[in-house]
Amino acid sequence: MGWQARLLWPLISLAGLVAIWMVAALIAQSDLLPGPLAVWAAVEREVAEDYFVHLGATLLRVSAAFVLAMGIGSAIGIALGMSETADRVFGGWLVFFLNLPALVTIILCYVWFGLIEAAAIAAVAINKIPNVAATLREGSRALSRDLAEMALVYRLSWTDRMRQVVLPQLAPFFAVAARNGLALVWKIVLVVELLGRPNGVGFEIHSLFQLFDVAGILAYAIGFILVVQAIEIGVIGPWERAANRWRR
Amino acid sequence: MSKLEVDISAKMFGAQKVLGEIRFEIPAGQRVALLGVSGVGKSTLLSLISGTETAFEGRILRPSWRIAMVFQTPRLLPWRTLAQNIALVPDAGGLARARELLSAVGLADAADQFPEKVSLGMQRRAALARALAVDPDLILMDEPLVSLDAASAAEMRRLLTETLDRTGAAALIATHDRREALALADRVLMLDGPPGRLAEDRQSPLDRAERGDPNAVSSLHMDWFGADV
Repeated sequence: MGWQARLLWPLISLAGLVAIWMVAALIAQSDLLPGPLAVWAAVEREVAEDYFVHLGATLLRVSAAFVLAMGIGSAIGIALGMSETADRVFGGWLVFFLNLPALVTIILCYVWFGLIEAAAIAAVAINKIPNVAATLREGSRALSRDLAEMALVYRLSWTDRMRQVVLPQLAPFFAVAARNGLALVWKIVLVVELLGRPNGVGFEIHSLFQLFDVAGILAYAIGFILVVQAIEIGVIGPWERAANRWRR
Repeated sequence: MSKLEVDISAKMFGAQKVLGEIRFEIPAGQRVALLGVSGVGKSTLLSLISGTETAFEGRILRPSWRIAMVFQTPRLLPWRTLAQNIALVPDAGGLARARELLSAVGLADAADQFPEKVSLGMQRRAALARALAVDPDLILMDEPLVSLDAASAAEMRRLLTETLDRTGAAALIATHDRREALALADRVLMLDGPPGRLAEDRQSPLDRAERGDPNAVSSLHMDWFGADV
């Protein structure tokens, strides 16, 4: 299937969503539910000011927190999945952190480390690490014992075992963790920015909220959704297809 | 030391004893069939000899032999092509030698195919090629012909015999099929149980050329096991 065909149905579906939004806005006739054209006008207004500065600041935080969370979370998840002892000892920690509200982590990071960039990024990463770890733990538990034995019999090096045997089996779990992670991380970044940063989409949405500027809020939200969609279509999707090309 | 020495008194899985007394030796170049019904412990015994299972009572003395294993399921990495699966083996000689080995088992044209896109028979042959990549002194084979149709099994049997003739490697072939054991092996170890124990150790009266003759194999089968199977 070509990329045009792959994009056709999502585009038709999104056009339908925009049409429903337009009709709802026409019926509501209120600044609290602006239509697509009003939001587009808000985008143009914000772009003329510092739209991309805020978007860029948020993207940098998302990237940093995402990389940290995927790296640390994957290492923890794989370790817990491959060692029953580690899972028995630290499995409870995972449940604890999975159930720790994001807001508590964010506030604690700001209280303990101050309203600084590192605290903001750490707060987001700490929120996401348990999800990544839980996903990769399940993946590691499902690793094939048959292939592990084959690697042992043929004396594959540790590097080859990881690179050729273990990580490819975990690829679908990485994809799930990355996709969910991206969606979760950027939402938490907005809260972090709203609570303690002087720039970014979250900060700007907070400012627009003071003015009840719903069109401006949607302008930022839609801008960010488009960026995340571009990452899904341009990075995660192609990587996942390449990783699965061996399947029947 | 130029022989494998196996001296097992017990192998337990939890509270369950899966192997009892088993003692035998395999000298260099000998082909030995390990014959027994399903569940008697043949695969477990191969795992102990290959070193993937280490907890047992007794000892296994391996000479400084290179040991390869052809598993009951081919255990190829599905995300690597057949050639890449072979090249993965340390000191296999890279993709060029992998292609040579695949060619030797009749898979020259399938070298760049992924395992899931070829038949089980082809996967088995690729697994045999992978075993050859280590230049083995001993090849352990776990039911190498099981689940193959008659034509594929005959082709695989011919290929195994040719390969062992060419390389001179010793082989320990686990099978539940008496005719297969008689057609492939110089010697047959018969396990009974469970727990698996060595019941008989018989030398085949057929030489390697005679074992290619189905009538000679049938005749020996009749002689050893009667006409019931």
